[in-house]
Amino acid sequence: MPVDSFRVTAPFNTTDYRVYSKKQNELPKTVQKERHDGRQSNEHRPIVMKIGILSQAKGSAYVEYQNTKVICSVFDPREIPNKSEYSVNGGLYCEFKFASFSTQKRRGFIRDAEEREYSVHLRRALEPAVIRHQFSNFQVDIYVLVLENDGSCLAAAISCANLALANACVPMHDLVTAVSLGLFGEHEIIDPTYSEERSCLSKPYVNQAEQGQGIITVSYMKIFQQITEIVHCGIMHSSSINHYIEKLIAENEKIYNLCRQCLVGNILVHLREKKETEAA
Amino acid sequence: MYSILFSDAEKTYIWDGVELNLRNDGRKRNDYRPMELETDVVTHASGSARLRLANTDILVGVKAEIDVPYPEAPNVGKIEFFVDCSANATPAFEGRGGEDLANEISSALLKAYDVLPLNNLCIVPGFSCWKLYVDILILECGGNLYDSVSLAVKSALYNTRIPNVKGTYIDGTNVDLQLSDDLFECWKLDVSKAPCFVTLCKIGEYLVVDPTVEEEACSTASIVVSVGENGSITGIFKIGEGSFHQNAICDAIKLAGTIGNELNKTLKLALEKEENLGIRRERYGFLK
Amino acid sequence: MDQSICINLAVERVNTSVPTREQPCKLFTPGEIIFLQSDFMRGHGTYPEDDVLKASVAGVVEQIGKLISVKPLKNRYNGEVGDVVVGRIIEVTQKRWKVDTNSRLDSILLLSSVNLPGGELRRRSVEDEQMMRKYLIEGDLVSAEVQSIFADGSLSLHTRSFTYGKLSQGILVKVYPALVKRSKTHFHNLPCGASIILGKNGFIWISPTVSDANSSGGFTQNLDQKVLKGDREVIARLRNCILALAASKIPLYSTSILYAYEESEKYQLAELLNPESMLDIAILTQQKIQMMEDF
Repeated sequence: MPVDSFRVTAPFNTTDYRVYSKKQNELPKTVQKERHDGRQSNEHRPIVMKIGILSQAKGSAYVEYQNTKVICSVFDPREIPNKSEYSVNGGLYCEFKFASFSTQKRRGFIRDAEEREYSVHLRRALEPAVIRHQFSNFQVDIYVLVLENDGSCLAAAISCANLALANACVPMHDLVTAVSLGLFGEHEIIDPTYSEERSCLSKPYVNQAEQGQGIITVSYMKIFQQITEIVHCGIMHSSSINHYIEKLIAENEKIYNLCRQCLVGNILVHLREKKETEAA
Repeated sequence: MYSILFSDAEKTYIWDGVELNLRNDGRKRNDYRPMELETDVVTHASGSARLRLANTDILVGVKAEIDVPYPEAPNVGKIEFFVDCSANATPAFEGRGGEDLANEISSALLKAYDVLPLNNLCIVPGFSCWKLYVDILILECGGNLYDSVSLAVKSALYNTRIPNVKGTYIDGTNVDLQLSDDLFECWKLDVSKAPCFVTLCKIGEYLVVDPTVEEEACSTASIVVSVGENGSITGIFKIGEGSFHQNAICDAIKLAGTIGNELNKTLKLALEKEENLGIRRERYGFLK
Repeated sequence: MDQSICINLAVERVNTSVPTREQPCKLFTPGEIIFLQSDFMRGHGTYPEDDVLKASVAGVVEQIGKLISVKPLKNRYNGEVGDVVVGRIIEVTQKRWKVDTNSRLDSILLLSSVNLPGGELRRRSVEDEQMMRKYLIEGDLVSAEVQSIFADGSLSLHTRSFTYGKLSQGILVKVYPALVKRSKTHFHNLPCGASIILGKNGFIWISPTVSDANSSGGFTQNLDQKVLKGDREVIARLRNCILALAASKIPLYSTSILYAYEESEKYQLAELLNPESMLDIAILTQQKIQMMEDF
């Protein structure tokens, strides 16, 4: 079926049955102090990070925040297709995709507007970290697939892609990590789940600018102390931004340590294996 | 986006100028270039506006059509944004060249307009609602695309007139829509909550508003903040390949809040002024 | 917070044309018959058909002796030997640079027609060819003179004089080539404290005045030196004045620019971007020029 690529494709004609359930529509319109999974407001879900899980790709990584599961693969640099001019800086090609069964509503195979938007955010978050002039005229392909989305999938995707890049030995200035913050009035929740995200973005906004409502995702390079990407949707007042960013950075630094551990651990395993084979 | 050739010396000149708070065209860092606005330029649209900011030329048409609301949101209307980067603007947009940029702008608008209440657009809950198609045509690019697009969209929505339609239930379940006999009996959208974008372009260590194409070429990163009523922030994202320091980003967002508030006020005054001229005012359109 | 935001309405738009005393001349459109007789010489912008001469572009007819040509009102730069131009390097190839001079085809600057450091009469060696990117790279601006015109119409430039060469810090303004009036010199050190190069191709370069001792006509760019705020104000004002004159289609030469600069003094720098003040300056300049002509 030909698709008009200039337009955002219309929603599929089928609808998720849960829409019709009374309970679903009465989803928590607010965020309580006690989170439904029993976490503190500034507590991140437990994180699992693994690298080198795919054998075909040059680098790959898997990140799991309980029910948010993201997989990413990075391939060897290849010449930038359809480009005649010489470009000093190499390119990053990012593709962000939801698996069609990853969300409540089934996703199509063609990338929709949201996925394209996340692809752009992903690229913007990673670009400052990669030393791109070392592979002039080449591009590195990064494919992120969300296997299951239970909130904070962009943050998970950025951290995951960063691990995959490191695993693929693409030269980088620093590690990039990302964290989401959900805002709902006086509640600020780190790493919101899908239902919390929906509550934070439920319209019309009951909280006005003074209190804030919405989601902020910040990706951060710890050593350079640079914010590589910030995405905010919702409503807030400009005076509270300092507070939010400080909170997000503090959390990012924790994830940075995890990423480091993961990478170092992987190298140690490699070295041990090498030693063993040599000994044998 | 689009790139231009540029020598190092010219770049240095711009950098130093921004540092001294005197830009190449004599503006200070926080100054906008004069804009020109006209609404109601397209007859077939429910609302339209054209905005020129130096060489940037944006034409926006809003069309209201009747649709069925989403089952998960039965009593709100719909709004959708389509951006067309026409090859008129620069040959680089030819074919699919402008597609990425167009997608970026339209998804940014969609997010920023989350704050606009659409309850008025519902005709019969669960059965029919208005859908606003906001079509944005970029006719010329002269820098600062985001700001000018958002201002043009807001003006076009201000100008939008939606006819009075009443839904009545016939035999209990079926809905019959009745259009008022007087086609001129319309109501207007309330755009006081509609946001506008403020792009802050980082040049050297400083932030400038309303960058020209040359200034955009000198900067590594910009931050786009959408500012709604009373300077509230309704969306933030970064463009460009660079990054920001924590303090820089906080300063930028605060600055954007004040500037955006001012921008919204100025736009409101201009729109009201034009409206007070009455329907019989002279239309210029593309005639100069 | 000091910021200026100004949204004008289209209804208040000013008409940028300024009144002139000159009679409007006859304009020809493509296909229009210029002459019925056949004893003429066919120039640019015309074509013969059935013994009559027709215009192929929209513009005014120019007659020099028997040569009839139609000069289009708005066109790209048609080079003439000896013209001073300002151009931007767009490509570095073997033994030559390609230069954008706003003409139909890219112009050429041969390695053999530039002054290389270390004497004019040096042979161009292979090393020089490899060093080309050191002198000029993509994006650099040069001032040059048209040396000759190739058969296909593209221009060959040269910079064999100390006045020409790579341009350092400053602002480039682009106007229609037809607006730049030919004069004895296109390099001016204006008394207001800035230098200006009026390229015949419509590229105008405004830069801070440098003392002659430093000008080597070579390929040095001074990136460390910061241009002072005072100089910048003058340069920015000149830029806005030139654009104001260009918007009202007033010919650009040193006198008209200086007049405009004098008239602009009553405005703040940023005010010069407003269409009203631009028109005001254009009208006042036009009046002053006419007064001087009458005098």
